[in-house]
Parts: sequence; C-alpha cells; structure tokens
Amino acid sequence: MTRIISFLGQRLLFIVPQLFGILLVSFFLIKSIPGDPAVLMLGPMASTDAVVSLRTKLGLDHALPIQFWHFLVNLVHGDLGTSWQTTRPVLEDLLQRFPATLELVTLGLLGAIIIGVPLGVASAFDEKGILGRVAGVYGLTAGSLPDFWLALVLIFVFYTILQIVPAPLGRLDFAILPPPTISGFLIFDSIAAGDWAALGSALTHLCLPVLTLSLINAGPILKMTQSTMDRMLQSDFSRYEVLSGLPHRMVVRHALRNSLPSIVTIISVLYGYLLGGAVLVEIVFSWGGAGQYAVQGVLNSDIYPVLGFVLFSAIFSLIVYLIVDIVYVAIDPRIGR
Amino acid sequence: MLKLSDRVQATAASSDARPTFDIRGLTVEFPAITGVPTVAIRNLDLRIERGEIFGLVGESGAGKTTLARSLLRLPPEPGRIAGGELLFEGQDIMSLTEVELQRTRGRDISMIVPNPRSELNPLLTVGEQIANVAQVHLRVSRREARGLALDILRAVQIPDPERRMTAFPHEMSGGMAQRIVIAIALICSPKFIVSDDATSGLDVTVQAQILELLRRLAQDRGSAMLFITRDIGITAHFCDRVAVIYNGEIMELAGREDFFFRPAHPYTIMLMAAFSYNQSLRRLWARPEPLPGAKVHDSACPYTLRCPLAQERCRIDRPALREIAPGHYASCHFPVRR
Repeated sequence: MTRIISFLGQRLLFIVPQLFGILLVSFFLIKSIPGDPAVLMLGPMASTDAVVSLRTKLGLDHALPIQFWHFLVNLVHGDLGTSWQTTRPVLEDLLQRFPATLELVTLGLLGAIIIGVPLGVASAFDEKGILGRVAGVYGLTAGSLPDFWLALVLIFVFYTILQIVPAPLGRLDFAILPPPTISGFLIFDSIAAGDWAALGSALTHLCLPVLTLSLINAGPILKMTQSTMDRMLQSDFSRYEVLSGLPHRMVVRHALRNSLPSIVTIISVLYGYLLGGAVLVEIVFSWGGAGQYAVQGVLNSDIYPVLGFVLFSAIFSLIVYLIVDIVYVAIDPRIGR
Repeated sequence: MLKLSDRVQATAASSDARPTFDIRGLTVEFPAITGVPTVAIRNLDLRIERGEIFGLVGESGAGKTTLARSLLRLPPEPGRIAGGELLFEGQDIMSLTEVELQRTRGRDISMIVPNPRSELNPLLTVGEQIANVAQVHLRVSRREARGLALDILRAVQIPDPERRMTAFPHEMSGGMAQRIVIAIALICSPKFIVSDDATSGLDVTVQAQILELLRRLAQDRGSAMLFITRDIGITAHFCDRVAVIYNGEIMELAGREDFFFRPAHPYTIMLMAAFSYNQSLRRLWARPEPLPGAKVHDSACPYTLRCPLAQERCRIDRPALREIAPGHYASCHFPVRR
C-alpha cells in the first residue's frame, strides 16, 4: 500500500509541469491559426477603428508571450476566458458539455471492451475455429469503417426503418426537462433525482451513439487482445504450464492475466483519444458535447474554448494514465518495487 | 471411463520387466520452406528401464530439447512427430486423447526445464504455481495443495520455505528457481522424469547439490529419469546408463562403466577428449568443423565430415545402431575396440 502511495505522490508531482507544457504548446499552435477573432466577431462591414478597439479590449494587441501570461494568470483564478460565440464563460460551457462527451465516450468504450476482449481471447484460444475467423474479419472491418458512416447506417436502420429509437437530436427528448445538474451525467443525475422518464429518454438517446463507438473501437481492443494473448500462449511459461499438465482453461486464464497490461494500455489510449475523436459521432447525433464545442472554436478562431478543451482533456488523460499506472503496479509484482 | 493410471496399473502388475519408457522409431520433423522437412530426431529407439537414471549427452542442436519435449507430445514449434511409438508403461502416448495427455503430463511424466526463471509465470507466486499442479493432478483442495507445496519446498531444501511460498520468480536466484521447477516436477511423484539440461545455468557447486538432491528424490519415489545434458562429465557421476546423441540419432549407448572405460564411437571419444587436458588426444580425435554449408548425404554416416576414422564406406553406407558387446551399442562401421 505504501508502495502505491509513494508511487502516486511521485506521479502527482509531475502533473503541474506536464499541464504547463501542454498549455504552452497548444496556446502557440492555436494562435498560429490564421484569422483575426476581432474581424470575425464584428463581421466584414466593421470599420478599422472598431476592429482596433476590439483588439485592444481583447488583449490581442499584446505580444504572444504576454497574452499567454495573461491567460495563465486568469487560469489560476479559475477563469478560462470567454467564448465569443456563446458569449458565456468557457468554464461554464465546458462543465456542461464535457460530462456529455464523457458519458458517451465512457459507455462507448465499455461496450468496446465487452465486445473486444472476449472476442480477442476466444480467437487466441481457437485461432482456426469459427470465433477466430469471425474475430479476424471483424477486426479488419472495424478498423476500416468510418464511425460517422456507421452512425448514419444505424440511424437509418433503427430510427428511419424500425423506428425503435428516438430521433438523433441531442441527449433528451424535447418534451422532457433535464434533471437538476449534479454531475452533468444524465444517467447519474436522473437516477439521483428519481426522474425515471428522463432516465429512459437519456438511455434511448445513448443507444445508437454508444453502439457506434463500441463497434468501431472494439476493433483495436480485439486486435491488441488477440496478438498479446497469442504471444503469451506461445511464451515459455505457457508452454511450461502445458507441459505440467495444467488444463487448457487455466493456461488461457493465466495468459489473459499476463496480457492485461497491454490491453489496459490500449484502452487508456483510446479513452484519451475519444474525447476529441468522437466528434464526428457527436455531430451526427447533435450531441452538444465538448468535442463539437472545440471544433467550432477552431473553425471560428475562438481560442478560449479550444484551450479549455485541451486543458480538460489533458487533465482527464493524465488521470486515466495515473490510474493505468496504478493498475500496472497492482497486476505486475515486478513494477514499482 | 477408466483413467490412464488405472489402466497402467492394471497392466503393470503383469510384467515388471517392462521398461518405464520405450521409444520406438521416433521421428520428429521441422517443416522447411523448401518443402523437404528437416529431420531433428531420426528413427530413434531408446528404452528407459524402471528406476534407472539414463544419461543422454549431446551438443547444442543435437535434438536434445526436441526429444525431451516430444516425449510429452509437445515438440518445440513448429516441429511435428512424424512417426514412432512412445510407450509409457506399455501405453502409447501417441494414442492418448488430449484430456488423457493433459492428465499424464506433470503427474505420471514430468519435466524439468532449463532456464526456469523464464519458464515460471512472472505474475504468480511460486507457491501458487506449485500448488496449481498439485491441485489439478492430485485432486486435492486448495489448502491441501498449499500444504503439499510447502512439503515439497522443504524436500528440495529451499531455505525458509514458508516465506518462499509468497515469492515471485524474479525474486529468486537461478539455483532457487531450479529447485522450484524440480519441486513442481516431483510433487506428484511421477513414474518418469525428463530432465532437459536442468543444471546448465548453474554454478558447479550449486549444480552438484541439485544433482545429488535430484538423484535422492527420484530414488525415494522410485522414479525413472531421462537426464539430458550437454555435459558429459555429469553423466559419469550421476547416471546408470549413458547414450550419446548426434544429429538426432543415438551414436553410442552403454552402461556407465563400459561407456567411460571402453568408449567405441569416434564421436564419444572426441567428446571425452574435449574434456581432457591432453592436447594431443584432442588433436587426434577432433577434426576441424566442416564448412557451414557442407551436408552429408542421407545415405552416409552423419558424423563422416568430422570423423578422423572416416573411410569410403562411411560415405555411402549409413551405419545402424548395433550391439558391439553385451549391452553396448554403437552406430559405427569401425568402432574402436581394445
């Protein structure tokens, strides 16, 4: 236990410099995108004077390092800036939108794990059997299908033809009032409020986007599970277990345990990636999530939403990686001693 | 369903003279890109009698590990047993079903592997790994299995066995890990133990201790053993009978005394000369290694290119293993006799 705590302490120490580095790089990269926010905000008919005065007001007349410094000072005070598109503080926007994305991505990833890991194990178990072949074809297909296309197909089948899911417009039916916000996760909030109508509506709206993300992202998880399991089953210790007459099931179970670090790694990478990577699915389902928000920001030179999104994703990824490191330590006695 | 061990016991009573393990015409091949498979073990016959320790000596590449693992029907990938019978107490291993095979491995026939630190599962404590084998084969509870594991750790003389139960393989020295593998091989008191180069990675002093331990434990349990090694010196102290394997074939086979005092095959003599301090003896019996590409024809003696006694006949007529004196076999047209 002390092992894990001292390990955690060491890792937490590094989070602040890591975040600083991420912000530094993304600030200058985003600033280098052509387009003047002042011109965009005022429109093509604005006078030069108006543009200049707005630039001064926004602090755009300062040198870039000074602008970055101002951004950092505000950040320390909990101010992530204001989006000129929504005219609301970025922090407020993100606190509302980030949970939407997180809820979608988390469930999508869970689905992907539920599909990918057992299929990967089964195909390593019996490579030339039916399951092995199915897994091979599936891994290939899932890797080559675009997610938004699959989303459109699912909408066409389940909404247009079968009509068993609601229209792909947001997270709730229009007629249903969202439950009071506690966490921003609709499933959690509606259960907390005892609002079963909202829960049902949230779940039916989650169905298709979650299914899309699950089906697409099960591909890499399946591949990783399969190849790692293959390697583990070929390894000296697995062969020794077979030589010792241990049953096939036990050999496979041990191999799976030895494969877990690789599987956990690919899952954590996918998790971080999907925060922004699910944006096409968000757009198809009008999800109103953080990814959509950030893309709008990039397209309109609205820098603070983008930086806010980067910051949120970075913190989230660092937390995920931290958990992964703890999982490694828990799984493998050779690490961290 | 009649279990294999019951069947074996039922037949064992009828003839005690039957060897523990009888290899008849074993051939193991490795597929090659050319389509003509490489033969790693060629038509090999070998009988291991009850309770004996049989030494098998060979250089690396001679087919030692392939032979050892083939006896449990698990040749190294992508090798495949192309023919032969493997009679364990009269029952052909080749005819067992997967389940019977799995019950035989580790319980009736067990194997001691080299480099045990990479053969043990890095994520499980050694206590768990020993107990797993006991629990599966002896059908005892987890508690009993742990108790047996502790007993066997004591028997292989691991210091502080209670604490070692919870140790992981990477926390052990090579000698310690070797003892763990021996413990796993012995926990079910198997009738036959295959030891594949088991002491190759150890210091000479540790090696001597472990060999002594292994011999005593095998004797106590009445287990026969096939002791495969590249060190001809070990067999002189340790084995009842000794054979030399070269290129997947037995070159010479004899009782220990005969083997060391009256070696007949030029290859055996070369191996012994290599261990001696006598320079001229070594020069006399060793010829320079043939060029890497040089291959002997299938109908020639495989040792022709390295043999100082090779004659025309050796290049056209492959010698078979034949008895040159009672209990002394050599596969040579011109065995050295004195």
